[in-house]
Amino acid sequence: MDTVTTGATQEEPRFDPRGLVELDARVPRVAEIDGDRAVFDARELTTRGINLELRRLLYEEGVREVTVQNPRARHSIGVGLLTRAKINFEGSLGYFAMGMMDGPEVHIAGRVGWSACENMMSGVTVIESNAGSLTGAAMRGGDLVIKGKVGARTGIDQKGGTIIVMGSAGSMTGFMMQRGRQIICGDVGPGLGDSMYDGVIYVGGKVKSLGIDCVPGEWTDEDTELIERKFRIYGLGTPPQLQKYVCGKKLYNYDTLEPSERKLVL
Amino acid sequence: MSTRRLPAEPQKIVSIDAEYLSGRRFPYQEDMGLVEDIDLMAATPGEDLNWLEDIHLLIEDGVPAVFDRYSNSFLKIYFAIPEGREDEIARKVLIKHLQSGNSYGITLKERHCKYPQPELGPWVEGSRTVGTDYHRSILEGWEPPEH
Repeated sequence: MDTVTTGATQEEPRFDPRGLVELDARVPRVAEIDGDRAVFDARELTTRGINLELRRLLYEEGVREVTVQNPRARHSIGVGLLTRAKINFEGSLGYFAMGMMDGPEVHIAGRVGWSACENMMSGVTVIESNAGSLTGAAMRGGDLVIKGKVGARTGIDQKGGTIIVMGSAGSMTGFMMQRGRQIICGDVGPGLGDSMYDGVIYVGGKVKSLGIDCVPGEWTDEDTELIERKFRIYGLGTPPQLQKYVCGKKLYNYDTLEPSERKLVL
Repeated sequence: MSTRRLPAEPQKIVSIDAEYLSGRRFPYQEDMGLVEDIDLMAATPGEDLNWLEDIHLLIEDGVPAVFDRYSNSFLKIYFAIPEGREDEIARKVLIKHLQSGNSYGITLKERHCKYPQPELGPWVEGSRTVGTDYHRSILEGWEPPEH
């Protein structure tokens, strides 16, 4: 169980009436701030401490670039950051890294666990190594670049944005995808684009099998422009030969959707 | 079998409209000149349009409109949009709407957000922070249960 460390003293975690752990909400205030830049060592901080420090720096101190040393693969780091800033993690992060973020440009020097950037609204995240399953789940916008491999169900329920994977991807990639784009440079496991409603998936390697209603698409000049632009921006070299996959549109009819359902896919 | 009579819902509508939520129409919905100077690249993270890539001109109730995901509503556009600039104008109207703080989701932040965050979101530099002193809303006359 996580305990709170504040300075040299260590406190026992407290529990709320539901039995959920309620960690100390004191902001660590350990960062060294230099103008609009800051750096802090997260080695001795709890997950909550790291997130509180990030929020203090970005929301209260006006810092525009933060470097976090020794994140030690902590889970749920950087969740819900809603401002423009550059954040550099000098190490790996655990589950749900940078979830629900809206605005930051993030660089993660190591790996990430499950559900990195789930529900990401806008911004950029570049991950230098591998990512777990459910990467970019329900993502709404922005760019997510993974320079290694990813697990299963990448971009499940994706509603916007661009996911770029330089390595291979697992099974059910793009499952229930509704909008947005995925560029997978390596091989892809079985069930690619299963039950996708919309969006585009580009694959550079072999596809084990296509999912239900996922079909090859017709390449256009817009596709070429998108791929070349994204590879240029993120310095990814020359794009491989890609095959485009789209929704066959045999399974749905948006015209019959209630307004409240329709807005979910916009 | 007794049937429970549901209260009337006079405000129930089928469209999802920013004007309805805000209670007014905004000048930039009617005057393209008010959005022409919006810098879309400056308003978005990264080196391209980022999340605005997924914003396109749509039609709602037969009127050109852009979808505001921060209030789940359509913002209708009443001026003539030059051919070939449909998405650009839609994006500029949306950013103007968000930067002006007129999106209904933004107006709700002051009262309801539980955690500190910039009021106007990532589209405006130096926006004030709201949500630093959250207290849950309590209905007038409500008493907590004894158990």
